[in-house]
Order: sequence, then structure tokens, then C-alpha cells
Amino acid sequence: MFKQSLKGLSLLLIFSVLLAACAPAVAPAPQAAAPEAAATEAPAEAPAAEGEGVPMVLMPKFLGILVFDQAYQGALEAHNEIGNPAQLQFLGPTPENSVAGQIEILTNATTQGVKAIMISNNAGDQIAPAAKAAREAGMTVVTWDSPIPSAEGEQVFVAQVDFDETGTVMADMARSILGEDGGKFAVLSASPDAANQNAWIAALQRVLEQPEYANLELLEIVYGNDQSEDSYNQALALVDKYPDMELIMAPTTVGIAAAAKAMQDEGLCDQVKVSGLGLPAEMLEFTLNGCAPEFALWSFVDLGYLAYHVAYKLATGELQGVEGETFEAGRMGSYTIEKDPTREAGLRVLMGPFTVYDASNVEAAAQ
Amino acid sequence: MQSRFSFLRRWEGLLLILLVFVVVYNALSTPGYLTTANWINLFQLSIEKIIVALIMTFIIINAEIDLSVASVMGLSACTMGFLYMGGMPMEWAALMGLLAGVAAGLFNSFWIGVVGLPSLVVTLSGLIGYRGLAYLLVEDRSIGNFPAWFNRLGQQPLIGPFPLAMIVFFVLLVFAIIILQYSGFGRYVYVIGNSKDVARYAGVRVQRTKMILFVASSTVAALAGLLYAARLGAVRGDIATGFELDIITMVLLGGVSIFGGSGSLWGVLLSVLIILNLRNGMGLANLSGHVQTGVIGVLLILSVLAPNLASSVRASWNRHRARTLEAGKTG
Repeated sequence: MFKQSLKGLSLLLIFSVLLAACAPAVAPAPQAAAPEAAATEAPAEAPAAEGEGVPMVLMPKFLGILVFDQAYQGALEAHNEIGNPAQLQFLGPTPENSVAGQIEILTNATTQGVKAIMISNNAGDQIAPAAKAAREAGMTVVTWDSPIPSAEGEQVFVAQVDFDETGTVMADMARSILGEDGGKFAVLSASPDAANQNAWIAALQRVLEQPEYANLELLEIVYGNDQSEDSYNQALALVDKYPDMELIMAPTTVGIAAAAKAMQDEGLCDQVKVSGLGLPAEMLEFTLNGCAPEFALWSFVDLGYLAYHVAYKLATGELQGVEGETFEAGRMGSYTIEKDPTREAGLRVLMGPFTVYDASNVEAAAQ
Repeated sequence: MQSRFSFLRRWEGLLLILLVFVVVYNALSTPGYLTTANWINLFQLSIEKIIVALIMTFIIINAEIDLSVASVMGLSACTMGFLYMGGMPMEWAALMGLLAGVAAGLFNSFWIGVVGLPSLVVTLSGLIGYRGLAYLLVEDRSIGNFPAWFNRLGQQPLIGPFPLAMIVFFVLLVFAIIILQYSGFGRYVYVIGNSKDVARYAGVRVQRTKMILFVASSTVAALAGLLYAARLGAVRGDIATGFELDIITMVLLGGVSIFGGSGSLWGVLLSVLIILNLRNGMGLANLSGHVQTGVIGVLLILSVLAPNLASSVRASWNRHRARTLEAGKTG
């Protein structure tokens, strides 16, 4: 008798867990009334016919990162502009399960009849077999932010910025801050062996050789190892060493914030400005108080917007995914599919340019 | 003994009902769920974990734990990748990867069986140490471009719609059930799990049994690591990181007691099917990874707590009844 009721109790418990598990599954449906119907029909009718929409997935490296949420905003903006009647899903793994989770989402998307997926790849080449399987099932596979190194299973990579452009952007900001007669500046980088930063600094040095930048003089390159305290101290050491230095250029988000803080704390913002690559949310106060009047970063909103356009156009057949094709990406204008010079194989669409932030737009971006 | 086994029947019955519920719910709510391709995917996405869960069942019933399995998977895959990149033919590199797993198993079983350290401590150091070795071998690289035959084994169907890893799983499952549930060795595993001392006095070779189990555990894990490398087509130092917890979850949900001595492979098979179908259903319903982890977590909490809660409630009920009976007699 008692055993019976105990058994009933455990059953009840298990079922309540299950119901709890099922409830959220039903919940997303009302959020967008149409997609429920679309989702049920999609797998039955295999090829994406015109008019019924393209179910799409935007997959970040993992959930809970601000810039990926911004990319989703951009993709959603493009989704609504284009008026795709199917659903755009933002699906990502948890940070500790990133590789297996990305592969699982990609594989399940194939089953669900998703027609296009946009991946910020965190699994290296390990995702390639799943991506190839998705391609064979007729899905469009586009990467953004981070590509599949071998390019296998990927049609196009939507790249944020070009290494060479980083040099130009930094030189232009230096010229804009220092004015027509130029001046002396130093670079505060991350670690001496950081591949990204070294490539960007090399690009900057190449740009400085051009005659129109002749009045900019690079004094020294120092390294703050992407540590706030190191970077802070290195910035102050530069001030001591070069009394006529007018600008510190830091191509790292840690370095630029630390340098700006150092100049602000020492009341040096009138003599030495700070610039480089930074996050609007971190740079807001320094930009508004003039310590770092200009800095740059690419917009993840735009990156999501552009990735959506590329994926949608590939899925509908408007683009074939071959080198040299040109297309219009809504508010962002015209782009071309080109060979990716940073990998042995693969095609890319290069977004560029950087967004340069100053007092006029930093507040909006910092939200 | 009688009551122990009737309890097991009840737990497995519960799991079966749960499984039916999950399958029916998925079938009704998720288009595309009941397709062969999806069922193959559902197994393939976790196939390496469920292969290791089979041997983990032996270990936990034996009242031990092997936390190093995922790191051994990583070590074998990375050993293979490292040697292949160094120019060794793939067959030999894979064999060496497997042998790396055997070596790790011998190392574990030496400290557990011969020296007599707790398996928790030994395999925890294994978890860190073997992963460290894997990182030493491949550093931050991704090693890929394996021969086509190797990738095909991991990614394409071998017999009918079934890929190699699924066949390996089902063959191992049959073997494991025969050995654990129907052989003398299997009975020793249970007896030792119930009480090491009783087993020793009864003449069971406790030390040898444990050593065999830990070598088998690492060997199976190494095989699973190679299968995982073939499925992904590339190897990195962090391959299979964190899998040990998923594997132990599957075994515990299957009704295997963490204190050893009870549980069965039937229960583990049911729990594996429940977890796989639940994950698949939640994935197809686009639930986020956080929600999925949460649901599996709640399920595990209940699976560990419910049987213990049941027995302690029963015990206090019996005490209460005994007291009232006694009170009735004296009064």
C-alpha cells in the first residue's frame, strides 16, 4: 500500500520535471505566430520554395556575450527589412560545451529543415564534417566573425575587418587627433607575440611610410601584455620618457582603456591623447571627457546584418557563392565575394570599414 | 537481497515510463524527430559518451569512480594526431593512441589496485595529468587532414545506415550485459561493490578485479577518443573536455548506486535513451543550452535523491509503526 503511493509520488515528480521541460518548448511559439506553422511544414517540403520564407539560424560561439547579442540585433534588423516570413533563431551552446554544442545545433538544424545557418565558429576544423553534412542536406552555411579554417563545408566567410585596413584606420585617427601638422606618438600593444596586434602594427608602419602621413612620427612600441596594471604603468613610463609625445595608440581594448585611465588620473589628458581599438562601453567616459577623443572598432550589429544578407541571398539562389559576385546588402551598400587571402582556401565578404567612435556616437554604441 | 532487486525492477520500470513519455512527446511535438536520419544523429552526437558509460557502469557498481575517462579520450586522440602529423601511417598512429589509453589504465590501476589509493584521488590526478599530456602533444594546434578512410569511418554509414561507432556501441553493449549480468566476473563486480571486505574473506580477488576494470575503462575510453577524432575529422587539445560528468550522469540516472553494489546495465541503457531523446527533443524545440543543462541536472538530482528519500521515508515509517505497536502492547 505504502509502496504504491511512494511509486505514485515519484512518478508525479518525474512528470512535473518533464512538464517543466516541455513548457518553454511551447512558449516561444506565440512570440511569432506564423513561424509555428512554417516550422511544422518546412521539413515536409524539402527545397525552400519562393514565398514561404527561409528558416534561418544565427549561431554565436556561445551564449552570454554582448557582442554576439549585438550581432543578433543586426541579423534581426535585416530579417525584418527583407520580410522573411520564416523564423530567425538565435541558438548557441553554453561556454563549457562550445564545440560539441555547436556541432549538435548544426546537426539538429538539418533535421529541423533550417535552410541557412550563420556560424561564428569556435570548433576549428572539428565542425567541418557536420557543416559538410548540412551542405549535402541542402542547407546554406555561412560563417561570420570566425571562419572554418579549412573552409570545408562553408560557402562564404563574412569577415569583420582587414588587417591592412587596421593600419590605415589607426593612422587616420592619429592624424585627426594630432591635426594637420602631425606629431609624435607611441604604440602600446598587448604582448610581444600577439599575432593580431603585430600584424596591425606592421600594417600601421607600412601606412606611415606613405608621404601623406610623413609628419606622424612613431617613437616606440611598448607592451602591456593585455594586463590593465602593466598597460597603465607602461603608459605613464612613456610620458616620462617622451615629454613631447602627444598621443598613445593602443590596438588592444585592454591597453586603450588602461592608458586613458592613466592619463585621466594624472591629469595629462590635455597634453597626451589616447586612441586605438576599444569597446564603446569601456571608453564612454574617456571619450566624453576628451582623454580618448577617437577610437575604433567594428560594429557587431553591422556584422550580423551583413551575414544575414549573405546567407539569405545564398539560400534563395540570388547569390551562387562564387568569386567576383557583387550584391547589395541593404543599408550597408554593395559588397563583393572574393578569395580569402588569410586562408589557403575559402571565400570571404569583407565588411569593413571600422566604425570610428567619438563624442557624437559613443553613447549610443555603449548601450 | 529480494527487496533490493524488487526495488531495481521498480526503478527501471519508472525509467521505461519516462522514456515512453519523452519519445511520445517528441514524436507529437517535433516534426522530423521520427526519421531514421534523426535517430542516427541522436546516437552519433553522443556516441562516444555512451560507449564509455557502459564501462563506467562496471566501475561504479564496483564502488569506484573513474574521473579520468574524458582526459584519456583526449590523450589517445592527441597521441594519434601527433604521431600522424609526425609522419606515422594512420593505422599505426591509431594503434598507438589506443596503447596510450592502455598505459593510462595500467597507471591508474597500479595506484588503485597495488598501492591502494582511492580511485577518486588517482583518477582526479589522471583527469588533470592526461589532459596536460594531450596539450603538451598538440599545443594550440588543430591537427586534421586525416586520410579519407579514417574520416569515412567516423562520418559515413558502414553497414546499412549505421556508422562504425554505433555498431561498436551495440556490440559492446551485448558483451557488457553478458559479462556483468550473467557471468561469474560480473557477480564479483557486484559483490566487491557491496562490501570489499566480505568479498575478500569470501576469496574473491578484489585487487585483480579492480585492476582489470580500470585498464578496461581507459582502453574503452581511448577507443571512444579515436572514434570521436574520426567523427570530428580533427583533433585539438581540448577534445572531449568535461565528458566525464555527462558519462557519470548517465550511469547514476540509470539507477546505479554511487555507493556501489547495485544497479544494472538495463537501467543505464534506459537512462542513456532518455537523456539522448530528451536532449534531441529539446534541441529540436530550440531550447537553449542552459535550459538543457538545467533539465538534465534536475533529472539527476531527482534520480539520486528519490531512491534515497524513498528508503529513508520507509525506514522512518517502519520505526513509527514499530513504536505505535509497542505502545499498544504496553498500554
